[in-house]
Amino acid sequence: MPTQAYLLLSAALFCLGIYGVLTRRNAIGVLVAIELMANAVNINLVAFSRVWGSLTGQAFTLFSLALTVSEVVVGLAIVILLYRAHQSVLTDSASEMKG
Amino acid sequence: MTGHLLDLCVAAPAFAALLLLFVPGKHLTAVRLISLAGALVHLAAAIAIAVSYNRATGGVQMVSSHAIVPSLGIALTFGVDGWGVPLLLLTATILTVGVFASWGLADRARDFFVLLLVLTSGVAGVFVSLDLFVFFLAYEIAVLPMYLLIAIWGTSNKVAPGGPFKFTWKMLDIGGKEYAAMKLTLMLLIGSALILAAMLAMYVEAGKHSFDLRVLGTIHYSPFLQSAGFIALWLGFGSLAGVWPFHTWSPDGHAAAPTAVSMLHAGVLMKLGAFGVIRIGMVLLPEGARQWAWLVGSVAMINIVYGALSAMSQKDLKYIIAYSSVSHMGVVMLGAATLNINGWNGAIFQMVAHGLMTGLFFALVGLVYGRAHSRWVPGMGGFANAMPIVAVCFTVASLSSLGLPGLAGFVAEFLVFLGAWQAGQPIWALAGLVGAFITAVYVLRTSRTIFWGDGPSHDFHDLTDAHGTEWVALGVLVAALIVLGVWPRLALDFIDVATGDYLPAVAGKTLEALR
Amino acid sequence: MSAFTLTRVDAALLCCAAPLLSFLILGLTPALRRTGRIAGYVSIAFAGLSTLYAASLLQGRMFAAASPPDIGQVGWLYAGGKLVASMGVQVDGISASMLVVVTVVALCVQVFSLGYLHDEPPAALGRYYTWHSLFLFSMLGLVVAPNALQLFLCWELVGLASYLLIGFYFKKPSAGQAAVKAFWVTKFADIGLGAGLLVLYVFTGTFDWSPQAVQLLGATGAAWTAGLFFLAVMGKSAQFPLHIWLPDAMEGPTPVSALLHAATMVAAGVYLIVRTYPIFQAAPGVLVFMTFLGAWTALFASIIACSQNDIKKVLAYSTAAQLGYMVSALGAGELWPGYFHLVTHAAFKALLFLGAGALIHAVHSNNLQDMGGLWPKLKISGTAFIIGAMALAGVPGFAGFFSKDAILDVLLERHLFAPWIALLAAAGLTAFYMTRVVMLALFGKPGHHTEHAHESPPSMLAPLVLLAIAALTLGFAGTSLATAAGHEYAFHLSTSGLIASSLALLGIGVGWLAYGKNAFVPGKIPAFAFVQGIVESSAVDRSFAWSYRVVFQGVSGGVAWFDRYIIDGFMNFSAWLTQMAGERLRAAQTGRVVDYLYAVVAGLLLLAAAGFWR
Repeated sequence: MPTQAYLLLSAALFCLGIYGVLTRRNAIGVLVAIELMANAVNINLVAFSRVWGSLTGQAFTLFSLALTVSEVVVGLAIVILLYRAHQSVLTDSASEMKG
Repeated sequence: MTGHLLDLCVAAPAFAALLLLFVPGKHLTAVRLISLAGALVHLAAAIAIAVSYNRATGGVQMVSSHAIVPSLGIALTFGVDGWGVPLLLLTATILTVGVFASWGLADRARDFFVLLLVLTSGVAGVFVSLDLFVFFLAYEIAVLPMYLLIAIWGTSNKVAPGGPFKFTWKMLDIGGKEYAAMKLTLMLLIGSALILAAMLAMYVEAGKHSFDLRVLGTIHYSPFLQSAGFIALWLGFGSLAGVWPFHTWSPDGHAAAPTAVSMLHAGVLMKLGAFGVIRIGMVLLPEGARQWAWLVGSVAMINIVYGALSAMSQKDLKYIIAYSSVSHMGVVMLGAATLNINGWNGAIFQMVAHGLMTGLFFALVGLVYGRAHSRWVPGMGGFANAMPIVAVCFTVASLSSLGLPGLAGFVAEFLVFLGAWQAGQPIWALAGLVGAFITAVYVLRTSRTIFWGDGPSHDFHDLTDAHGTEWVALGVLVAALIVLGVWPRLALDFIDVATGDYLPAVAGKTLEALR
Repeated sequence: MSAFTLTRVDAALLCCAAPLLSFLILGLTPALRRTGRIAGYVSIAFAGLSTLYAASLLQGRMFAAASPPDIGQVGWLYAGGKLVASMGVQVDGISASMLVVVTVVALCVQVFSLGYLHDEPPAALGRYYTWHSLFLFSMLGLVVAPNALQLFLCWELVGLASYLLIGFYFKKPSAGQAAVKAFWVTKFADIGLGAGLLVLYVFTGTFDWSPQAVQLLGATGAAWTAGLFFLAVMGKSAQFPLHIWLPDAMEGPTPVSALLHAATMVAAGVYLIVRTYPIFQAAPGVLVFMTFLGAWTALFASIIACSQNDIKKVLAYSTAAQLGYMVSALGAGELWPGYFHLVTHAAFKALLFLGAGALIHAVHSNNLQDMGGLWPKLKISGTAFIIGAMALAGVPGFAGFFSKDAILDVLLERHLFAPWIALLAAAGLTAFYMTRVVMLALFGKPGHHTEHAHESPPSMLAPLVLLAIAALTLGFAGTSLATAAGHEYAFHLSTSGLIASSLALLGIGVGWLAYGKNAFVPGKIPAFAFVQGIVESSAVDRSFAWSYRVVFQGVSGGVAWFDRYIIDGFMNFSAWLTQMAGERLRAAQTGRVVDYLYAVVAGLLLLAAAGFWR
């Protein structure tokens, strides 16, 4: 398969992620969308690792996965706190920073 | 030994402040004693510096240097010249007296003294710094604690809305202590921005990778930098010296500030501004100084007359004194603008004289306010019957402020006016004399209204005379005013040396020609 | 010869130091000051010491009239290591004789005050003597000043002493106002002295009045200096229109009026002219102005004095008038007559004021209507007062006659006819109003308080007698005084002297007819009533009050308003503008996470676009 295919897949996933982040009002939905974006990056890393014949990209992918997991942990914790504070997991409910 | 006197002098208050942080705030006596110790060590060091300064050789002495950022040429360089000696003594005196005057303060006393002492270290740092960066740093250290000191320990004062900008009143809470503190800080910080810009421009153009004033002083800057840089420094430092029309923080700020803070601010901090204009603006940028002397002098003339006239219409005791400070700082700037020996000697002498006088004034205002619980002058009367010492001290301060011979204020004003006339500006001198007359009109009227007459009325039932530490505070300042008035050479002999060091280059003439 | 010899400079220093020491002792030891009478004794002792030194100095100068002045000074201000001003003493005939005048009158007044202020609380009495010592020191410093700067310094200090002593009864609102008014008016006039000093220094590089300095001044410099100095003289020596503070100054205790506002302090203005006379002589325009203004003040004040009911105010206006004589004489271009009148006036005016003090002490009122018929009760003080009145009126043989004669003579000699006539008229009026005072106070219908009146204690009588002797004899001492001062003077009866003394006798006669015999009522004569009407309108006072209210308070009110609402308003406006901008911009901060994300994406796209088209 040509490299472009991987890259196109990754771009498509990334755009989906962005779309999800921007349109989802549910905080968990936003988190999922962020996961999509992170994985789009991972696909890129693996693809380029294959192109250059170097394992560095795959190693980074493993790091990235670990990071994503911890990020989800933190993110879900925030969501729980958000729910405790507002009895809702909608992102719009958290607008304390409104000027 | 003398090598570290300056370090000691600058560090003593800051070190006392550091110690205070380890003392529980509820141990009031310990807090006070540590503060007093810091002030006294500071004073002792200042006296030791005055004694060991060699007037015969002159110049900058007792230099000590510690590099901070060698790559940029920033070093903690201290050295004292003939101007620094009396100004350090003034700072130390006012601090000591200020600690005495705040002896009774109980509300968050520890925090108060910490800020007061840190501020004083900054002031002393400015007077002895030989490094432009450290100069600026110390300047900011001196200015910024004022915000907290006023906003926490200050008092509010109602100002009636009016004028074409009346609509701004509601939003800004004009007259409140937070307003006063914020106004003071913001106006001074805008000034600082100008100073910083000019400072960096000089550093870059000099290209010596050094902030050392002695190095920067040898550079011949381009005409544009001389001109624009001087204006920036004049306005920047001048905003702290109360230069018209950037003086309006002063009445509100001084009126809102607690006693010791007003004393230090009007007595010492405003001098930093004027000192900066002369020591940095004029000495480093002589061509700019010569180019703009007419403007500096003319604005100073406005300051003198305008400040005095404004003071005349005030009914609030603190506002009267604050506006009189605006007027008297005009004398300092006028002296600076003359660019001759008598004018400069007078300007520095006026810094000392006015520092003592206004320190005394604010100490007295604090005393009267503390007992009468009012600053409304027309409501007072006959206080001399209840507080004779306060009345006498107030009279002395009034007389010094109207320039009565035998008190320090006269020597300073006379030298400045003499310098102004010698500089070929008789109008400046006459405006100064008229300002002194207007001062006579309002200070004597104020003094009469408050202290003379029958009374005090029943509204003021717990008026007591100055006692204990207050008495010491007043006595020291009154004595200093009289001693300097009778024998001005105590300070003038120091000042004259430094004027002789710096002036010839600034005025572009030899010392011989300037005499 | 004693073990150590005292030079004249040392003696002059000691003469000044004695009252200073007394001031410091009383000022720094509250316990001593609050004893009252003991404080008084201390002050009097030091004043006596001063008097002794002054007398020895005068005696010394009399035998050394030709020798140059004894000068001792020490550097006071420096600029660039060069001397700017010095302080010290200068002893010559003029300053030595003035020292004697000041110390003797001060001593008399201080002794007199012991009796006069007998009922004051001890603390107040101590304060009184403290200020007296301060005054004496400053006045002596003024007299011996070797240069104009020191003279100015002490000039201001005597002004301070005057302020404090006028305000001695500080609980009385009127006393406070009078004290402040006196300070304001003289301080205003002192702008002239300050500016004059600056001119002097800028032209000559010194504050000296030596002939070399005058030469350096040139015509322009001398005119400016003299003119500016004269403004200060007008304030201090109560010349029209700055005389307004002097009548109000009578709020002070009577002995204070005698010392400060009659004999010595107000004469400081004249003394300034005497000292700086070389400068004045180089400014002919100023001299002419002085002659006319002095004569006008003399006439004007004499007219006002005719209609005053307060005995002290009569004397106050008469002081202004007599100072007018001195100023006029000095303006005529000769030094001695004016100075001579200063000396004789000091003696008889102090006498008059102290005599008036004795009368006031007896009836507890200043008002002439409350007195009357006091002569049988107060024989000694009454006689002293009459001697003073005759000296002031210029009755031949009394001190005032000699000096007034010298003044009028010099005016006529210089063909200054208008001032000459004005001064002659003033002489007649002086005799008239003094007769009026004597008749109303000592003779005529007894007043309310006359019954309880009693003669003063010895402490008050002794000074009266001493000064009465001086008022009787001082005129004959003119020649030797003039010699000591290096001038030539011998009495000779001149035309103007004859006219003046006849006018004086005429004035006494008319006064006696009006107030002794009640032959006519002056108020019913139209001319007199007209003048009195003008006087009572107190136009000068009112115009000053108006200018204070309107010009000063108006302008200062305007400036204060401008400062608060325009300048500060503009600062507030810029703060408001900043805050308003913030208010508007805060809408951009919605607080919704998604909006921020949109912004992030938009930013990314922008960056990408920028990278693409670079």
